[in-house]
Amino acid sequence: MTSTSPLRFLRTFLTGASLIVALAATAGMGSGRDVSAGERVYRQQCASCHGDRGQGGPGYAAPLTGTRTVSELAKYIATSMPPGPKHCPPAEAKKVAAFIHERFYSPVAQERNRPATIALSRLTVKQFRNAVADLVGAFHPAVPNDPRRGLRGEYFRNRDFDVKERVLEREDPEVRFDFGTDGPVPGQFAPHHFSIAWSGSVLAPDTGEYEFIVRSEHAVRLYVNGDAPPLIDAWVKSGNDNEYRGSLFLLGGRAYPIRLEFSKSTIGVDDSEQKKGKPAPKASISLSWKRPRLTEEVIPQRCLIPTPNAPTFVVTSPFPPDDRSMGYERGDSVSKAWDEATTAAALETANYVTARLPEITGVPPDAPDRRARLKTFCRDFMTRAFRRPLSPEKERNVLDRAFTSADPAIAVKRVVLFTLKSPGFLYREIDGAPNDPYNIASRLSFGLWDTLPDPELLRAAAAGELTDRARLRQQAERMAADPRGWNKVREFLLAWLKVDTVPDMVKNKSLYPDFDPRVASDLRASLELTLENVVRSESSDYRELMMSRSLYLNGRLAKLYGGDVPADAPFQKVEFPASVRSGVLTHPYLLAHLAYTDASSPIHRGVLVVRNLLGRVLQPPPVAVAPLAPSLHPNMTTRERVTLQTRPTACVSCHNLINPLGFTLERFDAIGRLRKLENGKTIDATGSYQDRQGKKVRFADASDLARYLSESEEAKGAFAEKMFLNLVKQPVLAYGPNTLPGLKRAFGESRYNIRRLTVDIMTIAALPPGAPTRSTTPSPTRKVTTR
Amino acid sequence: MTTPKTRRDFLRDIGVSATALPFLLNLPCFAAPGALPRKRRLIVMFSPDGVVPGTFWPDEEGTEFTLKESLKPLTPFKDRTLILRGVSDRVKGDGDNHMRGIGCLLTGIELFPGNVQGGSDTPAGWASGLSIDQEIKNYLQKNPKTRTRFGSLEFGVMVPEHADTWTRMSYAGPNKPLPPIDDPYQMFGKLYGQSKDREMLKSVLDDLREDLARVRRNVGAEDRRILEEHTSLVREMEQDLREAGRTAVGHAVPTLPAGIKRDNDAIPVISKLQIDLLVNSFAADFARVATLQYTNSVGQARMTWLGITEGQHDLSHKPDNDADAQTKLTKINAWYCEQLAYLARRLSETREPGGTGSLLDNTLIVWTNELGQGNSHTLENIPFVLVGNGLGFKMGRSLRYGGVPHNRLLMSLAHGFGHRVSRFGNPNYCGDGPLPNLT
Repeated sequence: MTSTSPLRFLRTFLTGASLIVALAATAGMGSGRDVSAGERVYRQQCASCHGDRGQGGPGYAAPLTGTRTVSELAKYIATSMPPGPKHCPPAEAKKVAAFIHERFYSPVAQERNRPATIALSRLTVKQFRNAVADLVGAFHPAVPNDPRRGLRGEYFRNRDFDVKERVLEREDPEVRFDFGTDGPVPGQFAPHHFSIAWSGSVLAPDTGEYEFIVRSEHAVRLYVNGDAPPLIDAWVKSGNDNEYRGSLFLLGGRAYPIRLEFSKSTIGVDDSEQKKGKPAPKASISLSWKRPRLTEEVIPQRCLIPTPNAPTFVVTSPFPPDDRSMGYERGDSVSKAWDEATTAAALETANYVTARLPEITGVPPDAPDRRARLKTFCRDFMTRAFRRPLSPEKERNVLDRAFTSADPAIAVKRVVLFTLKSPGFLYREIDGAPNDPYNIASRLSFGLWDTLPDPELLRAAAAGELTDRARLRQQAERMAADPRGWNKVREFLLAWLKVDTVPDMVKNKSLYPDFDPRVASDLRASLELTLENVVRSESSDYRELMMSRSLYLNGRLAKLYGGDVPADAPFQKVEFPASVRSGVLTHPYLLAHLAYTDASSPIHRGVLVVRNLLGRVLQPPPVAVAPLAPSLHPNMTTRERVTLQTRPTACVSCHNLINPLGFTLERFDAIGRLRKLENGKTIDATGSYQDRQGKKVRFADASDLARYLSESEEAKGAFAEKMFLNLVKQPVLAYGPNTLPGLKRAFGESRYNIRRLTVDIMTIAALPPGAPTRSTTPSPTRKVTTR
Repeated sequence: MTTPKTRRDFLRDIGVSATALPFLLNLPCFAAPGALPRKRRLIVMFSPDGVVPGTFWPDEEGTEFTLKESLKPLTPFKDRTLILRGVSDRVKGDGDNHMRGIGCLLTGIELFPGNVQGGSDTPAGWASGLSIDQEIKNYLQKNPKTRTRFGSLEFGVMVPEHADTWTRMSYAGPNKPLPPIDDPYQMFGKLYGQSKDREMLKSVLDDLREDLARVRRNVGAEDRRILEEHTSLVREMEQDLREAGRTAVGHAVPTLPAGIKRDNDAIPVISKLQIDLLVNSFAADFARVATLQYTNSVGQARMTWLGITEGQHDLSHKPDNDADAQTKLTKINAWYCEQLAYLARRLSETREPGGTGSLLDNTLIVWTNELGQGNSHTLENIPFVLVGNGLGFKMGRSLRYGGVPHNRLLMSLAHGFGHRVSRFGNPNYCGDGPLPNLT
C-alpha cells in the first residue's frame, strides 16, 4: 500500500488523481514518520477541542487553517498548547505540527481537502480550434459519408483537364506510379502529352503540422484544404528539382479536400505537334506525407477518400499548451499568453471571414438586401458560438451597434471579433441555469466531440427534448457513432496508453539494426489500426482490446515481428498464439516505448499497468535514480538487475507493486520482439499483483496478466473513470458518489462496450442526476457537493 | 549670421545648389557631425514589350539633351534623370527572349531548363539565381541599422494570375520567384492590416468588459476567480493596444476607395493607388526596396483610355514602317513614363521623415523593360531610365555605353548601397565591375 493512513487511503482511492501524488510528495520521507507519530498525539490531546480533522469542536470553534510553517507551528504548540500550565514537549510538538500541517492546516492541504466540484472552465485549445472551425464552416461533416478509401483519378489526353478529352476515370488506392516513357494506359495516350487529376479528401488523424511531398519529373500542383493558393506549385518545371514539399497545420479527426494535378506536357506555347513521333521522357509521380512527428510515407489508402470534403478553416495562431497534470487537457486557468493567443486567433478568424464574405455567408457583394442578410449571418454566428439563442441585450448592444457601421463588412468583422473574445464563447456553460437545455447540449457536444453543438443538437435543445433522458441518450448515441465521436475516444485511448504525444524511439543500432524511425512510425500505425478495429466494431469490447492475439503488420514489420506477410505488403491482420501476443499491452509499440535503447524496462511497463490500467496511485520516487547500466552487471538478467536496484527500503513500498507486474512482460525485448533467453538465461516472466482488497494474484506470464486485466473489476473501473475524466474534464465525484459505481455496473451490463460507455458517461455528465439547479441569482457556491 | 538649423540650410549658406545636395550628402565630409547616414532606397519599375527607339532615346549625350516623345513626362525631373543607352542583356541559354528578358533582367543569370515553351527556343523554367533587388534587400536586412519591417515590397499592376517565367521578375533565390501583389486591397492589408486590427480590437473592448462583468455576477465565488483574472487580462490588452498605437505607422493610414475591380480598364486607377501605397510604405520606412511591375513580359494591356484598342504585345510585333503602330507604341510608353513621373513627383513631395529633403533625394527609381524593341525581340539596348538621387549617381545626363552587359549595372546598384559585390549573376558578364561614369 502506498499510504498508511485510512483517511489518505480513502481519498486516494476515491479521486485516484495524480494531484494527490504531487502534493503528498512535498511531505518527504522523514516527515512521513513524524506525521504518523503526530497523528497519535493529536488524537489523544488535541482532537477533543479542535475536532478530528481540525475542523473545530466544542472547545474551539475556528478551523485549524493557516500559513505558518511546520517549525513555527511547533514552536507555538510547545509554548501554548494545550492551554494551562503544562504544554506539549518540543519533540512531540514537532510531530503534531507536522501532522496538522500535512493533513489540514496548510493551504495545500486545504486545497486537497476541498470537496470535488464542477469548476468553471474555459475551452481547451483543442476545443477552441474545433469550435472555430465548425463556426466558420457551419458544421459540414468532419469526414464525408463515404466508406470508400482512395482517390478519384481522372486521366486526360490533353494538358488542361478538358473533360471532353478525359479517357479514363477510376479510383486509385494511393498515388505512386511509374509510367515509364509511355502513357498511363499504353496506346490510349500520346506519351508526350497527358495530364491526370486526383481528387478527394485526405483524413488527418492527429492535430499538427503535416508535410506533403510530391515527387515527379513533370509539372505538378497540389491543393490541400482549399483552392488557392496551391500548397505546392511546380507547374513550372525548372531545373533538376523533382521533389516538392509544402506544410500546413491541420486539426485531427477531420478530412480535408485534396487535389493533385499532373501534366506531362509543356506549358506556354503548344508544341505537341512538333513532338509527335519523337522519343518521350520518363514520367512518374508519388504523393507522400509526413504526419506530425512521424516519418515520410506514401499517403496510405486508409487516409484517402474519393469524395472531396468542404474546406475547413483552421486557426493557426499558436496557443500555450493546456494543463495536462491530471492526465487530460483541461481549461481551469487563464494566462496572458492564452489571452493573447485568443486575440490573435480571433483576428485571424475575423480577417478570414471578411476576406471570403460571399463564400462563407452566401451573400453576393451586389445583393440589394446585403446588409440585412449579413446581419442575419451574424445573428446565426453568435447563436452558434454562444450555443444558445441571442439575448436581447447582445442583440441590441453588439449586433445593432455593429451594424450602424457604413460598411457591413466591417460590422461582420466586429461581430466575429467580439464573439470569439466573449466569455459566452470562451467558457463552458457560463450562461443560463446549469441544466437548461442549451447547457445540456453544450456538455454533450464538448464531451463527445470537443466542439460546439451541431444544428441537430441545438434543434433538440430548443424543442426541449434534452431533459428527457431517453432522447438525450439517442443524441449521445448519434454523436458517438460519428467520426468526431471516434476521434475523441481515439485520443483518450492514446492518452490512456501514454502514447498521446508521439514518443522518440531510438534503439541501439548494433543490437537492433532493423529498427529505424520508419519501423517506429509503422508500429504506431499498427497500434492505431488495432484500436480502431476493436473499438469501432459493433461489440467495441474492452476485453477484446485487452486479450486480442492479433497484430496489424505490413511487410516491413513482419520481417521483425514475425507473420507470413510479403515484404512490400500493406497492413494486414495477423493472428498469433496467446503465448506470443495477448492484448494491447503486448503491442510492440508500447513495449518498445516502455524500454531503453538497449534493454527492456520492467519498471516503465509496470508503472503503466499500475497507474493507467489499474488506476492505482504511485508517489514519485523519493530520490532520483539512474537505471543501472546492463554493462555493469553483464551476467544478470534485466529482472535481476531491477530487483537489485529497487531493494532499498525507500523503494520497496512502490516497487513491490510495480516490478512483479512489469516482469510479466520480460519476454519482450527493447523493441517489443519476443525472446526466450536473455544473456543465455531463460526468461522468468512470472509476476503477481495484490489488489486493493489485499488479494494476491499470481501470473505465469503476460497472457495471464492480460486475462486478469480483462476480468478485473479494478481495471475496468479504472478504465471507466479515466474515460470519464478525459471526456468530461471534471472529477467524477462531483457528480455524486453513485456515479462511478453506476457507470461500472452499466459497463458490465453492456458487455464492456466502450462506445456504450462513452454514451453512458455523457448522458450522466450532460444532465447530472439530482444535481441542484443553479439559480440565476448569485449564489455563494456553484458546485455539486459530494461530502 | 545665425547658426544654420539643418544640413540643407548649412549647404545653402555655403552656396551649394539643391541639385548637388543629395550627391554631396553622401560624402562623409559634408554629413552633419553625429548624424546618421542617410537612408538609401531603390525602386525598379517594369513595363513590357520594348520601346520605339526613335521616340525614346535622346539624340545627344551628356548634360545637354532633349527628352523625346516617350520620355516627355519626365521634363520636370530632367535634371534628376539619368538615361543609359547601350546596356544589354547578354545572358543566353534556354527560353525565348521574352522569358530571358524578364527572368534575367534583375538576376543576370540563365534560366533553368524546364517545361515553359515560348514562341521560339527551347523550353525553360525559373531563373537560376536571386535578383538584385533581393540581394540589396538581404544586405539591408542583415544590418539592424537598415533593417525594416518588410525589407522589400513587390507591387504589380494587372499581372496575370498564372505563375510562369513571363510573369516573374524578382527572385528570392534560384527557382524562388516572388509573386508581385497587384491587388491594392491586398497590399493595403499587408501594410496596414495590423493597425486596422488594433483599432477594431479597441472598439470591442467596452462590450467585452460589460459582458465579463455580467457573467461574473452570475457565478459563485470560487469560479469568479478565473473571471477576475480574465478581466485584468482585458485591462492589460487595452494598455498594450495603447502602447502599440503610439509606436505605429507614423502617418495617417490612407483610405482606399471601395469596389475597384481588377480589370484592364482599371489599370490607371490601380497604378495610382499602388504608387500611393508605395510612397506611403517608404515614408513609414516599411521597406527600402520595391519593385513595381506593369502587367508582364509579353504584356497585353489594352490602353483604351488612350484610345488604343489593340493589345500592347500585338502592337509591338508590327514592323517599323507601320507608322500607326509606332505612334501607338510611343503613346503607350509615354503613358508608362507618366506613371514614372507621378511616382517621382509623389516622392519629391514627401518629406524625408527624420531627415532633410524629400524621399526622392534618397531614392533611385530604375525604369526598365524585358526587350530593347518589340518587333525585333532584341535584348540589346535594354531601356534603363534612372530617376532620383538615392544612390549618389550624377543625374541630369544622357549616357551611351555601346553594349556593356547589364550585369555591370546591377552591380552598380549594389555598390550604390555600399554593398560592394565583386560579381552578380553570371560572372562572365561582370567584366570590369560596376559601370563607369555613373557617379
